[in-house]
Amino acid sequence: MHEDPIVITGYGILSALGNDHDTTLSALTNGISGIGAIRHLATSHTEFPVGEVKMTNEEMESALSLPADSVTTRTALMGMIALDRAVSMAHLTRESGSQNGIAFISGTTVGGMDRSEQHYLDFLAGEDFKQYISTHDCGACSEMIASRHDILNFVATPSTACSSAANAIILGARMLLSGQSDIVVAGGSECITKFHLNGFNTLMILDREQCRPFDRDRAGLNLGEGAAYLVMERQSHAAKRGVTPIVELAGWGNACDAFHQTASSDDGEGAYLAMKQAVERACINPANVGYINAHGTGTPNNDISETHAMQRLFGDNVPPVSSTKSSTGHTTSASGAIESVITIMAITNNFLPANIGFHTPIDGGMSPVSTPKLNTRVDYALCNSFGFGGNDSSLLFKRIKFQ
Amino acid sequence: MKPNIPIYITAACQISIQEPLCDKWMSEPRLGLSGYNEAIDPVFKEWMSPGEARRLGKIMKRAVVTSAECMKASGITMPDAIITATGLGCVKNTELFLTDLCTQGESLLKPTQFMQSTHNTISSLIAILNKCHGYNVTYAQGDMSADVALLDAVTQLSLGDIKTALVGAHDEMTPNYYTLLNRSGYYGHESMVSSGEVAVSFMLSSNADREALCLIDDIAVFYKPATESLRAYLTTISNVDCILAGYNGKPENDMLYDNIISLRDNPDTPVLQYKNLFGESMTASALGLYAAVRIISTGNFHNSMYRSGSVPANINSVLIINASGNDISLMKLSKVSL
Repeated sequence: MHEDPIVITGYGILSALGNDHDTTLSALTNGISGIGAIRHLATSHTEFPVGEVKMTNEEMESALSLPADSVTTRTALMGMIALDRAVSMAHLTRESGSQNGIAFISGTTVGGMDRSEQHYLDFLAGEDFKQYISTHDCGACSEMIASRHDILNFVATPSTACSSAANAIILGARMLLSGQSDIVVAGGSECITKFHLNGFNTLMILDREQCRPFDRDRAGLNLGEGAAYLVMERQSHAAKRGVTPIVELAGWGNACDAFHQTASSDDGEGAYLAMKQAVERACINPANVGYINAHGTGTPNNDISETHAMQRLFGDNVPPVSSTKSSTGHTTSASGAIESVITIMAITNNFLPANIGFHTPIDGGMSPVSTPKLNTRVDYALCNSFGFGGNDSSLLFKRIKFQ
Repeated sequence: MKPNIPIYITAACQISIQEPLCDKWMSEPRLGLSGYNEAIDPVFKEWMSPGEARRLGKIMKRAVVTSAECMKASGITMPDAIITATGLGCVKNTELFLTDLCTQGESLLKPTQFMQSTHNTISSLIAILNKCHGYNVTYAQGDMSADVALLDAVTQLSLGDIKTALVGAHDEMTPNYYTLLNRSGYYGHESMVSSGEVAVSFMLSSNADREALCLIDDIAVFYKPATESLRAYLTTISNVDCILAGYNGKPENDMLYDNIISLRDNPDTPVLQYKNLFGESMTASALGLYAAVRIISTGNFHNSMYRSGSVPANINSVLIINASGNDISLMKLSKVSL
């Protein structure tokens, strides 16, 4: 229990579930999946369902009122929309971080790969499209998003594959605890690219049907895309600014599975350690956790490994679990932030989101929440994000006391 | 931030366009390099099996070597954290996968190229090889990648969350990518230093260590800082024996350093450079830190690094400046005096 805890005072989210807060919440409480046939990505692999953001780049540029000749990437565009929402919800202005400023920490791995894969041969051949060469790297992507608001004085880009956004939130927490920043806007953004759709396909971990996390017959993941950011600050700072805390970030953990570059260990060591650290940092018992938003990709390997990790920490009393990747798709580097926002919505709106597509438990596994469970109060909720290379992170959110 | 406890660098190892794993760059450096240059590699089979040496890309092999040497030199075989910086990640494998994708289409692509293309592959590999379950993160923040990784390490050490951290900075460059970065203007200016490749590892520790190479007294990373706040911060770290700056011969880059140095209230502090020896790359600032660590711990540097002012006989503190576009980082090191 911290005397001046880190609280969330705003967020923004954009995913296959919707382009704004209300559409997202309504899809979640009604158990609607945003996964469907590919519409925007120019790929020949139309057999794979995906969770695309339902906007073209041009529609996003127009929504952001960007000049027609803007040099952007899809990841940056989605990030800008989510950042705008977070900034507005938390009432951020330049004065909000009057002492040590406002930091922006945005995870991505894909960066500007959407443009690079379109124009790589052009880049090599000559001068055409060369303005996109310097939008390729991950840091450039975050700076493009940051340039949207003239209120930020620090930019960092964690790139730990599918746990990037969760690690952005963890660095953000430490920037606040160490007094380096007054406010941190942390999360991530990632668009679907042919590069990683094909990469995941070579690893044979894509499902040709709607994914079915934690199901005995699960056959892989569906890729998704989107962006989300949390506005984080100390409770005393929020009070001084006169903004109302939404939830508390009570704990976090980061551990490495140290097992394999693309597979999780059978006993889920990294996942177990990450969740354990999060619970211990919050000084609570595992029994206090009322909901877990699982990493739950739907791959045979992840879901059994994560199940074992949860069983190690919670014994026979694993709390209600769901993987909302069954409605957003796996939004890779953004997933830690998108699923954090979903977890926060669950706490503040008293419901448990659904793990769509589940029918039959894994042998010795558990049954996730298969339809939205309304009127359910949760005080503590874990949100898991695990990445390639065993980069495993877990975040623990807590209901604000007076609610 | 000024850490609230002493934070030591207890080991530093490099592979670069200078002779690897040694300090020959101080006495007999490779001079006058320009254009595209690859790193000089050690004999990898001394650190790994022939199978591993075949399977892993160069950026990974170099990381294995500098990490292993760093752990050996510091005596810390199980760091509490592994924090890695890479501006562009595993460029070679990314390029192979991308070339196949763009030329032969979306079939018959190779999983190993994809697996070894992700930025965090390097940091994960070090953890896998050492069975290290501690904190593990990778930062890809362009020219500030290494600075952000070091900031994370110093922050965690300062908060007491960890006692030791293996911090690495790794970037490779291919001829094709060099061509691209010439087109974008990152490289290619006629008066510019060579391109570089980087593999540097540091062991940071908050355990009191008489044998440590130096202390980190301050580290700060800024995005678009207001001139007045930058000037104010520089005032808090004005008392140093020399400055080590990332001049690279490109006028708009070098002007950034001149401007920052002109904001200091102590304009006569001598200035050294390092990219004339180590080249330019997104994680070149880690080689700047490496050079500063060695300058403090040995008292030596090569004459070609000398840029302005007169350098005192004893260098007990160094301010390292890294600047690029909208970003600036400042780091102050000092000699250990226990």
